[in-house]
Amino acid sequence: MVELLILLIKVGFVLNLGLTLGSICIWIERKASALIQDRVGANRAGAFVTSQRWYLKPFLPAIRLLGWLGVINTLVCDSVKGLWKEDFVPDGTSRFLHAVAPVIAVLPVLLAFAVLPLAPDFELFGMWVRPQVAPIDAGILFVLAMGSVAVYGVAIAGWTGNNKFSLLGSLRAAAQMISYELPMGLVFVSLIVVYGTLDVYAIVEQQQKLLWGVIPAWGVVTQPIGFVVLLLAGMAETKRGPFDLPEAESELAAGYFTEYSGMKFLLFWMGEFCEIALFAMLLTLLFFGGWDIPWISLPEGAWWGALIGHLVLVGKILFFCLLQIVIRWTLPRFRYDQLMNLGWKLLLPVALVNLVITAVLKVVL
Amino acid sequence: MMISAIVFGSIAVAAALGVVLMRNPLFSAFSLVVNLLSVAAVYASLDAHFLAVSQVVVYAGAIMVLVLFVLMLLNLKNESEAPRGWLKMTVASCGALLLFTSILPVVLPAVEMLYRDSVGGEGYLVEGSVLAIGRLLYSEYVPQFELSSLVLLVGVVGAVMLTRKQSSDPSPREGGLLGGGRS
Repeated sequence: MVELLILLIKVGFVLNLGLTLGSICIWIERKASALIQDRVGANRAGAFVTSQRWYLKPFLPAIRLLGWLGVINTLVCDSVKGLWKEDFVPDGTSRFLHAVAPVIAVLPVLLAFAVLPLAPDFELFGMWVRPQVAPIDAGILFVLAMGSVAVYGVAIAGWTGNNKFSLLGSLRAAAQMISYELPMGLVFVSLIVVYGTLDVYAIVEQQQKLLWGVIPAWGVVTQPIGFVVLLLAGMAETKRGPFDLPEAESELAAGYFTEYSGMKFLLFWMGEFCEIALFAMLLTLLFFGGWDIPWISLPEGAWWGALIGHLVLVGKILFFCLLQIVIRWTLPRFRYDQLMNLGWKLLLPVALVNLVITAVLKVVL
Repeated sequence: MMISAIVFGSIAVAAALGVVLMRNPLFSAFSLVVNLLSVAAVYASLDAHFLAVSQVVVYAGAIMVLVLFVLMLLNLKNESEAPRGWLKMTVASCGALLLFTSILPVVLPAVEMLYRDSVGGEGYLVEGSVLAIGRLLYSEYVPQFELSSLVLLVGVVGAVMLTRKQSSDPSPREGGLLGGGRS
């Protein structure tokens, strides 16, 4: 009974973390894009709010600050607007599949958070808690599996749009996601070769050590090529940044979600930003030591040590979210053949060679 | 665990029926996806996590997406019902019966094991971990494993041969169906 309760708390916490990080990404996207383009960005809604109610008065400065920073505009106003908008379904398609597609696009992304640990083990009320929902031995392969299920959401969405723009967008998206899954999988294989395990928690634990007593044994040190390949492949997998051909506005209206409006459209949006957060978390856990602070060891088993570790992890995740958003607003879009060439003729061979080198080094050293 | 295995098993059977009974080919394909995913869920509920994940990655993730691709591009209409003759029916039933009897030797021991487990015997051991599968694959089944990789290689070579155009034009069009490119 207690175990079930702990599991439920973990599920709630992880779900909350994924969604919160996604929302923060949306806000960062709005404000960072404004800064990059020399605009001001969202800064009106709620910035001048006044009220004579006594129970609202103490919160007014905080609300005004949030409004001025654009948080209320991007997170509250936009989602409420999405809820009240007309839910448009195009003629001649299956209403069921049209409704199901955004759910299939979002659900796997949230499920993938289940295998990722959030903090080191800690002891609370005499019980050891591992802050990870599903400690299965297939570990990172589960993330890959969820990524391949997410393709269905995109494919179905494009088909139910019942027009050529949607269909072309979804075909592009599916081709892109499948193509970039290969180098991603190969990087995972080289990581498995290095660490000898598929469990993400064990991988993070092995990164807490120091190499030769000086350099932290982070994945980025042991697998530098793998890191670059995964960064590129992951950005293509999230269908953003210079890789946003499936929704290229200049060619395809909005690509696979052209015919979506209201909350269904926002679900796609949310899934995209949660995917950014998921991918940033993957990079942090696999290549940047997770909750590791170099040369400082957290106390083992203390709850406050786990809390510090968790905050460090979140900080690193936010850094990688910001990195992806900055790249997305800096680089222009690829052409489709360039995208495919990058995936198949550059990243895949590089990942393969990296795997062979890693295996040889593992045997030799 | 047992309950979820039964639930997902029934979903798998229902989805498999849907594959055959649905009129729209696209819906059949989606039923097959549901079927493959629920079989993966059955594996997972039997603690064979690695098997479940590889089922999702390989079948649901890679193969069915390609099938869907083709179906969406062809834009098929609903299938019309084919005329049924008694000869066709007999041949089809005999074939189905033959297939069923051929999988019985695999199914029956598993059912027996499940029964023994449910009445409280010594329990059966599911070896679905990465370690167990890897050990079996690279010790006992190495020839089969290598042969299957050879089969896949032949498939890849065949696909390349089939899609290569036998034209005199030295520069193939880039981009193809999906992209603008420099066509």
